[in-house]
Amino acid sequence: MRTAEHCASIVDHLDEDGQGAAKPVHGRAIPFWANPRFGLVVVIAVLIVVFSALRSAFLNVDLSLVPMQADLSVFVVVGLAQMAVLSLGHMNLAVPRMAAISAFAMGWSYQHLSVPLWLGLVIGLAVGALVGALAGWIITATGVNSFVVTLALDFALVGVVSLLYSQVGDGVAFSVHPAGMQTLRNGTFADYCAGSVCGPPVPVVVPIALGAAVLVGLLFFSVRAGREMLMTGSNANAAQLSGIATTRRIVQAHALSGMLAALAGFILAVNNGSFSADIGKSFLLPSFLGPVLGGTALAGGAVSVVGTILGATLTEVIQAGLNLLQFSIQQLNIYIGGVLLVALSADRARQLLAERRAQRS
Amino acid sequence: MSATIKDTYARRVRTFARGSESVLITTSVIGFVVLASTTHGNLLTRGTLTAIFQFLAVPVIVGLAQMVVLGVGQMNLSVGVLTGFCSMVAAWLMIRLGVPAWLAVVGAVGVGAMAGLINGVIVVLTRINGFIVTLATMTIIDGLRYGINGTSTFQGYSPSLVRFGKGSSLGVPNVFLVAMAVAALVAVFFRRTVAGRRLLASGGNPLAARLSGVSNDRSIVIAHMISGLLAGVAGVLEVALSGSVNATIGDDLLLPSFAAPIIGGVALAGGVISVLGTCLAAFIMRMVDVARAQYSIDPSWVDVIIGVVVLGAVLLTQLRHRGGGPR
Repeated sequence: MRTAEHCASIVDHLDEDGQGAAKPVHGRAIPFWANPRFGLVVVIAVLIVVFSALRSAFLNVDLSLVPMQADLSVFVVVGLAQMAVLSLGHMNLAVPRMAAISAFAMGWSYQHLSVPLWLGLVIGLAVGALVGALAGWIITATGVNSFVVTLALDFALVGVVSLLYSQVGDGVAFSVHPAGMQTLRNGTFADYCAGSVCGPPVPVVVPIALGAAVLVGLLFFSVRAGREMLMTGSNANAAQLSGIATTRRIVQAHALSGMLAALAGFILAVNNGSFSADIGKSFLLPSFLGPVLGGTALAGGAVSVVGTILGATLTEVIQAGLNLLQFSIQQLNIYIGGVLLVALSADRARQLLAERRAQRS
Repeated sequence: MSATIKDTYARRVRTFARGSESVLITTSVIGFVVLASTTHGNLLTRGTLTAIFQFLAVPVIVGLAQMVVLGVGQMNLSVGVLTGFCSMVAAWLMIRLGVPAWLAVVGAVGVGAMAGLINGVIVVLTRINGFIVTLATMTIIDGLRYGINGTSTFQGYSPSLVRFGKGSSLGVPNVFLVAMAVAALVAVFFRRTVAGRRLLASGGNPLAARLSGVSNDRSIVIAHMISGLLAGVAGVLEVALSGSVNATIGDDLLLPSFAAPIIGGVALAGGVISVLGTCLAAFIMRMVDVARAQYSIDPSWVDVIIGVVVLGAVLLTQLRHRGGGPR
């Protein structure tokens, strides 16, 4: 992880305009306060204290904490979906529509094939992975920028999804509720008791998101495929020359992105209580917020699962807090955008400071 | 030495742009003729023609706003919401402050340029990727856009401005004439002015540009500022054209703003622009929309078709690149 991250920080400094003088920090590790994750934890803690001081309802278990965790599960998985391709230095602008089309596939199979909950999920994940792989395949086969390919794919899928809903589906949503969906939606572990000891007030969907995060973390940390994706993102030529099948890794990373988008769509549909056409519509901004706030560079070669979770948490805390203070959703946007800018600028300042200090010593 | 490099570079750009533009012209003409003949001349009635060109103005300007930043290898995700924001500012100035129409227009365009300038300065100062910076400012401007008047509509502002917006001169809609004039100015800027050439130099090869004494930072700031200014112009055109505006304006402009330059042969990597290509691509997308209306097809097909066209156009460019020897 460290080496890939280190390389990425060098790449980051060279970045697109080639202006930044590349001065990698040698020898000394970056001090802990220069780590973006540390800053995030501090900001999240401060915000939680501020919000709960202003409105004690912020810490209300049933009305605030449980729904927050359910929302957070969606944001984390959405962030991971974007992170999967950021590892390559690619982007996936079609995350929202990959989620939408997978949600359609899931809703359709529940409605018309009456499949059990888990099988529908598997079908949805497969559809997401296929669409993602298609994006990856187009990118590798044509050499066209991932931004353009996923932009075009997003355009096409917007149309396809609404066509599917209007012609094959039932208008804008499926009315079906497969067995177990209600439990996933409303259930928390507090409902499960062994004697007098009950579980924590954590929604049942949270472990799904956490499980996905752990698996993605393991993939990038210790599985060959994941390491090779990072190498490809770090320097595609060098990776190719070292015998890595970069083409295959690119397709796989995009397939993973599509699959995670599908999972996010599933969790959102479960939270909302229906598989509808507007699943995924609001996914684009959150998909970048999580990883970018968490320190994943757009240049590729470095990812941070913990950072993505923290970034998503920060977004969720701000949203929930401002919501409670009765800010409208539009005012909320002003603050979220502001936080993104401030957090990233502070990050850059910290990084520069740390480097300067490391050079002096 | 540097002159020859510049010459070959310029020639390559020119031939490349010409090739891609000729394909676009052919496509537009064929599309228009086919559409006109299959709808039994319905397309050629005065009302339809006016509508086609009236509603082409804003997409053209927004496409150019994106093209300018693509020229320096940047992106501007805030183009769409900024257009809506400037519309709201212009209407707000006229209705709430009673500002005369011409001053409101200047004010709204100024606000657009200011927002663009801020984008550019943030990109240069923080060295954060332009995509992320404008993603953040897009979110902020989206909030501001609703902050002006909530979800309610502004209407009943300056009748003379609306009369201008809905009117035609010599049979051509006024807003379309304005759009063409702006496009011409943008083309002159990139072709004739030093600042415009420097912008392209920075986009094409930042290192070489820097070694030849071009400030890449300045190019980036200028490009973002022009992009914001053009978004302001688009916002004002929207105000003049529609007669009533609300905060949803601009919601559906972001994706087309990328589609027009990309179909038009503008490279995402920077250094290559095509004003004519961008305008033609906007026209082709407009034709797809018109065809949908004429044949009463499900609107969803428009998105599918545009997605395919974007990809197809890029592929075509790529193939020509490969066929045309070393890149």
